[in-house]
Amino acid sequence: MADIDVDLLRKIVKEVISETSAANKKVDFSNNSGASSNTATATVTNKNQPEAKDAPLQLDWFKHEGPAKQGTAVDEVVVAVLPGFAEHMTENITGVSHKDILRQVTAGIEEEGLRARVIKVYRTADVSFAAAEGDKLCGSGIAIAIQSKGTTVIHQRDEDPLTNLELFPQAPVITLDTYRAIGINAAKYAKGESPTPVPTVNDQMARVQYQAKSALMHIKETKYVVQGKGPDEIQVNFD
Amino acid sequence: MSEMEDLVAKVMADMKDSDTKSKPAENQTSTQSTASTSTGKELGRDDYPLFRKHPDMIKSPTGKSVSDITLDNVINDKITPDDLRITPATLKAQGEIAKSAGRAAIKSNFDRAAELTAIPDKRLLEMYGSLRPYRSTEQELLDMADELENKYNAKITADWVREAAKNYKIRKKLKGDN
Amino acid sequence: MKRQKRFEALEKRPIHLDGFVKEWPEEGFVALEGPNDPKPSIKIENGVVTELDSKKREDFDLIDMYIADHGIDKSNAEHVMSMDSNKLANMLCDPNVPREKIIPLTTGMTPAKAVDVISKMNFVEMMMATQKMRPRRTPATQCHVTNLRDDPVQIAADAADAALRGFPEQETTTAVARYAPLNAISIMIGAQTGRPGVLTQCSVEEALELSLGMRGFTAYAETISVYGTEQVFTDGDDTPWSKGFLASCYASRGLKMRFTSGSGSEVMMGYAEGKSMLYLEARCIYITKASGVQGLQNGGVSCIGIPGSVPSGIRSVLGENLICMMLDLECASANDQAFSHSDMRRTERLLGQFLAGTDYISSGYSSVPNSDNMFAGSNTDAMDYDDYYVMQRDLKVNGGIVPVKEEDVIKVRNKAARALQTVFEALGLPKITDEEVEAATYANTSADMPERNMVEDMKAAQDMMNRGITGIDIVKGLYNGGFRDVAQAVLSLLQQRIAGDFLQTSAIFDKDWNVISAVNDKNDYEGPGTGYRVSGETWDKIKNIPMAIDPSNV
Repeated sequence: MADIDVDLLRKIVKEVISETSAANKKVDFSNNSGASSNTATATVTNKNQPEAKDAPLQLDWFKHEGPAKQGTAVDEVVVAVLPGFAEHMTENITGVSHKDILRQVTAGIEEEGLRARVIKVYRTADVSFAAAEGDKLCGSGIAIAIQSKGTTVIHQRDEDPLTNLELFPQAPVITLDTYRAIGINAAKYAKGESPTPVPTVNDQMARVQYQAKSALMHIKETKYVVQGKGPDEIQVNFD
Repeated sequence: MSEMEDLVAKVMADMKDSDTKSKPAENQTSTQSTASTSTGKELGRDDYPLFRKHPDMIKSPTGKSVSDITLDNVINDKITPDDLRITPATLKAQGEIAKSAGRAAIKSNFDRAAELTAIPDKRLLEMYGSLRPYRSTEQELLDMADELENKYNAKITADWVREAAKNYKIRKKLKGDN
Repeated sequence: MKRQKRFEALEKRPIHLDGFVKEWPEEGFVALEGPNDPKPSIKIENGVVTELDSKKREDFDLIDMYIADHGIDKSNAEHVMSMDSNKLANMLCDPNVPREKIIPLTTGMTPAKAVDVISKMNFVEMMMATQKMRPRRTPATQCHVTNLRDDPVQIAADAADAALRGFPEQETTTAVARYAPLNAISIMIGAQTGRPGVLTQCSVEEALELSLGMRGFTAYAETISVYGTEQVFTDGDDTPWSKGFLASCYASRGLKMRFTSGSGSEVMMGYAEGKSMLYLEARCIYITKASGVQGLQNGGVSCIGIPGSVPSGIRSVLGENLICMMLDLECASANDQAFSHSDMRRTERLLGQFLAGTDYISSGYSSVPNSDNMFAGSNTDAMDYDDYYVMQRDLKVNGGIVPVKEEDVIKVRNKAARALQTVFEALGLPKITDEEVEAATYANTSADMPERNMVEDMKAAQDMMNRGITGIDIVKGLYNGGFRDVAQAVLSLLQQRIAGDFLQTSAIFDKDWNVISAVNDKNDYEGPGTGYRVSGETWDKIKNIPMAIDPSNV
């Protein structure tokens, strides 16, 4: 494992291991008699709290402002970030900081004269479902979703969750310029335009190199999922 | 439905000799309507492929036979998309062939498929959407099952949807559960 | 520490770019024999499975319930479950036990039992079992046809090229989802030009994919994903019942389909429930069986980097292919994802399926250079063709493709591009210029193609869907443009839907539309002198690589 950041990887593994062992034990499905009929609900209620116990980082550029509200402004684009973003992990899979990613995406939206609204999603660690949650709250019906590892989609309201306007599945090849271009295109969709899709860089070896690490980061993201919890409105400040 | 199938499977297992050689069942014991051949005999491995061995048996839903599907007829606007669809009878026949080749599960799938031929494309896609997780309430699924049974005479698939509704309820996959 | 020079040199080798992870069973980072895997068990009371793999019915999740009620042959289950796993493993690789004797046993196992049996076998034993257990006697392989810019002309030319090389199934997908209808018709027209009888598909979101099939733009579907834990299944936006319903939808329209799974996907999506990859994959295979679907694409597939990162992972991947065959399902055995930076390790990945032979050794082989592969690259690509041909020739193995002559390829690429040009004109789609036809004829990659206006293409694709264009319009367009033989091939493909012969297990067509499936070409391997042997015309073609010196010319 040459190029990948072995230390970060090790850190993630270590953190997740310590968190999982600290968190509630998984429901035991083996045939121990007793509480069997309740196990089904137990697995579900189990997730009303995040499985990981570490407190979110307190950030001055990323502040919670209560539950996200239904937007009506047609000139807004929602940027939905996933549960671990910024507050539990701070960099994407190749070490680009979450702050810089959000800065570029929102700048891209603003460059087109629209307003960016950032929300944090808790219900899911899946990027497409997060986007589908975001666009429902968005006045223009267009949302971008970004996972902690960096995977990004642009989604439009009323489409099936897994049908995206644009999908950038290969986080390792997304640069800050690409993030900005994603912001620009999302804004153009919100204005009813049909922009040329952001060119996708296809590096077939990126997945080979990063797939295992990607899984480790995603596993960590799932530890912050809170079933049933709606998204929070986030005030971002890049000054 | 599954209980019925279990029962059938059990009876068949009892009848089967210890030798594992697969042989076509002579009678169908299930509640489903049988065979598509004029002789009433179930089709088997040797009847396959139907296109070469029984072209006479294959008809489109509009009554056209395979030999009617020609370029000339297409160019003269005598072929519509409906002429290129598979019929319930052909699906049943392929199901019998699959079963005779030892693959009873495929037959169950084709039995459902035979029912679904009656449903327009658009409605079928909607029904699939409704079965996806967190899309429908229990009542909506049960209503869909009734629609399948009453409007399209799709009894097996209706039970399939009812079975889904029951399990979605237990495992919290209904609308609002996420 | 002062570095030792050999270690320093070794670290620069490509293998050091691959990702390896130590086992972490709590999160599913273990290939097989995970410490938390359930013990095999079954209890059947009044025809109902009341316990499956150490779990009681009242504790079943959606997947357990689905498998218990639909996926196991209950008539044999208790008998098989009482048998020793070593003995069953032995029977699987013993050529003297014919396939049809062992299928009734393997279809009565539970998922955990199947995994237990696999865990008794080493890699070579699994290969011996695979050679016998693959449903179709004749092995084959499948390919990908895509490009970076979704250029339809290039797709048509590459599809024709690949068809000529012998791929009986071809798969495309999109760089941008809204291109799907154009990609679907381009690969179909190209493939039928190269060799009538090729089945084509376009891998996109489930509902869209089905609607493409309904219109006659595709003949089969493969990327109908199933997963081994309930959480991941619903994250994939489906349930076993919705997927089972979808399977019946495809059959109801006369379309072939198989499911897709692959170990590592649950780890990748973060909810492996602490179970081993092979155990979770076994559940996927049983879901497929339970749905009455004829086949499955599995073997790591797009998540191959996950099993590939842990010990015994690639052995386990052949094991998951084998479980698929043990359940009498068509097996498209992956080898379809860029897997390693090391050429030696890429070959290692391929060998099990390549030497033993499966229904589709790769699913698929990238028929374009990997830079144009929109499935994120395959294990083997167009630049490996000649290596692959030589491997077939050296070892006398039918890996599913045959060498071709350059002039023949130029001819079919050109014809396919012109056929598509005609159809685009007939359907009122954005014009394909003669310059594009010429470029596609001689292109290796999308860099060799002039740029198209992608926005216009996408609008036209949507418009074509709105106008209700179907396969019949394509047949007419081809015919009126003077491509009578291609028109006939596309029509024959549509005609086969009425008969449904290709809905049977492991079905493909030859160039004369004779169906070849596990029903009429069942695997009858029973040791040397039996089963599939490379011979006759196929062997003549495999032998005849253009780079061999002809002694008579020396």
